[in-house]
Amino acid sequence: MIPAQFAYRRATSVADAVAALADPDAKVIAGGHSLVPMMKLRLARPGTLIDIGGLPLRGIADGAEIVVGSLTSHADLAQAAAFAAAGLQAVAECAAAVGDVQVRNAGTIGGSVAHGDPASDAPAGLIAADARIRVAGAAGEREIAVDAFFQGPFWTALGEQELVSAIVFPKPAAGSASAYESIEDPASGYPLVGAAALVTVAGGRVTAVRIGVTGVSGTPFRATNAEAATLAGAPVADAARLDITGQDVFGDTRFDEEYRRHIAAVVIGRAVERAIARAQGGSQ
Amino acid sequence: MSIVGTDRPRIDADDKLRGATRYLGDLKPHGLLHGRLVLAMDAHATINRVIKDAALAIPGVVAVLTAEDLPTAMEGPMRQFEPLARGEIVFQGQPVALVLAETEAAAEDGVEAVIVETTSHAAVLDLEAAIKPDSPLARIRQIGGEMEGSAAMHVEAAGEGEGAPAPAAAAAEPVSANAKGPHRQQHGDATAALAGSEAVVKGTFRTSWVHQTYMEPQGALAIPEVDGSVTIHSSTQGAFYVRGMVAKLYGVDVSTVRVVGAPLGGAFGGKFNLIDPLVMGAALAVGRPVKLQLTRSEDFASGMPASACILELELGGTKATGLTAFRSRILLDQGAYGDWAMDGAVPVMIGGPYRWSAWDSLSYGVTTNRFGTGAYRGPGGPQVVFALEQLVDELANKLGVDPLELRLKSAAVEGDTGVDGDPWAPVAGREVIERTMQHPLYKKRGSLPANEGIGVAAGVWMGARFPSAATCRVDQDGGITVVTGAVDMSGTNTSFAAIAADTFGVPIESVRISYADTATAPHAPPSGGSGVTYSVGQSIRLAVEDAKEQLLDFASDQMDVAASDLEVVDGMVRPVGSPDRGKSVAHFAEQVTGFVATAPPIEGRGRFAPGNPSPSVACHVAHVRIDPATGEVETLDYAVIQDVGKALNPGLVRGQLQGGAVQSIGWALYEELQHDEYGQLLTGSFMQYAVPRADRVPNVDVDYIEVPSAIGPFGAKGIAEAAVMAGTGAMANAVAAAVGSRIRELPMTSPRVWRAANSR
Repeated sequence: MIPAQFAYRRATSVADAVAALADPDAKVIAGGHSLVPMMKLRLARPGTLIDIGGLPLRGIADGAEIVVGSLTSHADLAQAAAFAAAGLQAVAECAAAVGDVQVRNAGTIGGSVAHGDPASDAPAGLIAADARIRVAGAAGEREIAVDAFFQGPFWTALGEQELVSAIVFPKPAAGSASAYESIEDPASGYPLVGAAALVTVAGGRVTAVRIGVTGVSGTPFRATNAEAATLAGAPVADAARLDITGQDVFGDTRFDEEYRRHIAAVVIGRAVERAIARAQGGSQ
Repeated sequence: MSIVGTDRPRIDADDKLRGATRYLGDLKPHGLLHGRLVLAMDAHATINRVIKDAALAIPGVVAVLTAEDLPTAMEGPMRQFEPLARGEIVFQGQPVALVLAETEAAAEDGVEAVIVETTSHAAVLDLEAAIKPDSPLARIRQIGGEMEGSAAMHVEAAGEGEGAPAPAAAAAEPVSANAKGPHRQQHGDATAALAGSEAVVKGTFRTSWVHQTYMEPQGALAIPEVDGSVTIHSSTQGAFYVRGMVAKLYGVDVSTVRVVGAPLGGAFGGKFNLIDPLVMGAALAVGRPVKLQLTRSEDFASGMPASACILELELGGTKATGLTAFRSRILLDQGAYGDWAMDGAVPVMIGGPYRWSAWDSLSYGVTTNRFGTGAYRGPGGPQVVFALEQLVDELANKLGVDPLELRLKSAAVEGDTGVDGDPWAPVAGREVIERTMQHPLYKKRGSLPANEGIGVAAGVWMGARFPSAATCRVDQDGGITVVTGAVDMSGTNTSFAAIAADTFGVPIESVRISYADTATAPHAPPSGGSGVTYSVGQSIRLAVEDAKEQLLDFASDQMDVAASDLEVVDGMVRPVGSPDRGKSVAHFAEQVTGFVATAPPIEGRGRFAPGNPSPSVACHVAHVRIDPATGEVETLDYAVIQDVGKALNPGLVRGQLQGGAVQSIGWALYEELQHDEYGQLLTGSFMQYAVPRADRVPNVDVDYIEVPSAIGPFGAKGIAEAAVMAGTGAMANAVAAAVGSRIRELPMTSPRVWRAANSR
């Protein structure tokens, strides 16, 4: 429970942090709630920690799009009214589902996303919301569509010398609403499955839907078959099963594959149903 | 004014709230070396070589010790006698080497650099396979010597009498050397009695390994003194116990070991001499103070949790008279070390708080390559209750009687023959069950929405009967100081203070409870077995009475009033009927402690051996809701009804009983230490090992009754362990009621409940 030795430096600007990442043994630290536990178990042993905690990357700007600075805490996200107003309730609900109060206060959305933990809550909301991950690198800033960002367990499209600077959420059409549902591992609190659904309802029909799923497999994914079936008017419970059947899913001696496959479909279905109910002005 | 029976905060609460309590982790003597463990990677292997060079080259690393470096004087088949693996690794996570360094970080670096070369052997993990005559052995080199002290202590507390030797016929089942036993209890003709019963039910049940998960991990500090003695500061429940065991291991006189119990950050039975033997040996080897406090992961990997078992049970009953007979066969995993294994006790415990006409009850302790067995609150209880109380419910259902009615008809009373052959001590099973029948939560069970269920179960804990002693002196200021060597566990000192205040007749503020170490304290038993208040509390009452008598004798001379006509009320010694003629206790205390005093100081002595137990019976009532789509179980409400004899401090009693409910929910729904097929621990942290967190614990209503003990102080009974003796049964019966079918394996996780609910 004692990390291996490391050097520590505080970044003075985004450019400074990016420059410091030229050292392949360096790692960026923000809230530290993903990295430090791994360091304590010596599963991660960076030579240098670049602390970006003091950089001006914190805050939520609500305009044509909602731009969330990467240092924004899960707690701030969970409490921001902008998401519900835009029909992006799922984003705030993902943040509220993270860990406990201490973790939500210290952990950041940028750190969580950059870490690429396939069992974290955040990716589901980002995928459903069709977010873009804004990253800063030596050549300046670029944006990566969420569908291309998560590549595997602890593996993202983030370059070696890049850091996440913001998450950009486009606002969905009028008549949209979303919801996040999850079943937590009673030990870790991480989702065994988490599903976020964003729907647009017009004239009593679902006219658009995006579904993001996390916790089930090595990469958070978009449930495209369920989306298509939902648009075609299939019963939600049937649609929810489509993307899980062929999917490689996690399984262990506590929560086996068959069980996880089953609850994944249940949770996807519940997320879609709740999102539709919200869009129709029904209950939460 | 009576203090006993009133709610009072714990006397250590203020220090704990302010962070002022100095736990083991806060102690940093001059010259301290920090220890960190090299843990075995294999579950079963022979150690060929331990390569220390690279570790020793790390700046700050002072020594790397293996078993040969410890100056042990004996060996025995107990973990306590094998602080580091001796040639053979018998479980993954077993300490193989100890790295000592000037800083914890250097010690941790050293651990990474130690290389342990091994030859692997088959890991023995499956209980049924392990006892087959052709099974590989979990321990290739069998170590001679008997279990001592430890296991016997709890076996006795759980109620086994003289330990009836197994009849020759019982040995008919051929078994491997992994099996210890059979331990067998037999009475009457169980087969005929079952055949003659109106209904018979049976089943096979499996339980899991469960960790005590105390907040403060295990640890100890050993300081070699200039005179060759060693002082050990330990997070232990039993200082005298530690002293005896380490002195034996290292072949030294007990007078050369002084053990100081550090404030406990939780123990639950798990803290007995796990780290002490190692730090003592290390301190002797290097001549410097050595401290080792496990990290959470190390505690999961190398601690001594409660063990799993397989229980086959068959029982019968009749509508008119209740339970008749039972037959059981229990395989109790004892892991690689059976220090605290309950294999001798479970054949008795499986009989519960009931009267039977015939039984045939046997068990085997099975050595495997998993941990070693530690004690955990009511050892053996949650396991046997899970089987017995489910079957009692099934039997009630089959007979068409109310589950509590069946239990009431069958409850043992004083003088009934117990499963160990001894007559039952006075026991209030009937009273507790009758009270439970009136509880609103139980009465609600007939009118529940779909997917909800209410379950009930009963259990009993006999309680330890450790002898103890204590002293009480009257201080210069008229206060009294009670000296005890019992480690304060779950508020026992707070109860001692109330006992002393009421017995002497001084305000509670004038009572000091002084914990003393093994060099200076009157002998005290370990704080365990639900025996502390029961025995030490009574020693303290006797010591205080003795001191009071001495004071009254002296005051009698001074006041010219017969001692029998004097009383002490609120710190004043006064003639009965003439309160205005009273003089303060301080007034007399000055005269026996000052420079010019001519009378001897007042020092009372109390010694006590309870002799007989005062069993405590508890019923638990659990209310759950299941989600049939996901198998998730939510505990909605809970009630504990228990006979406590006398609640010395009702607040602490409620806390104890609520804690028992919470741990029962943990056993029932969440907790399981799992290994893979190679014996690798899969649940080595709180990321994989689930405990009932606050958000998963319902309201727990405590409704205790007081049927006084003739033995314990003020009628008190040992209550801590009875509080977990019904929980797994109540939860299982609640889940069964909600699901509509039974789960016979602990814990009842969501996948298991989902499968039961959907018959998969």
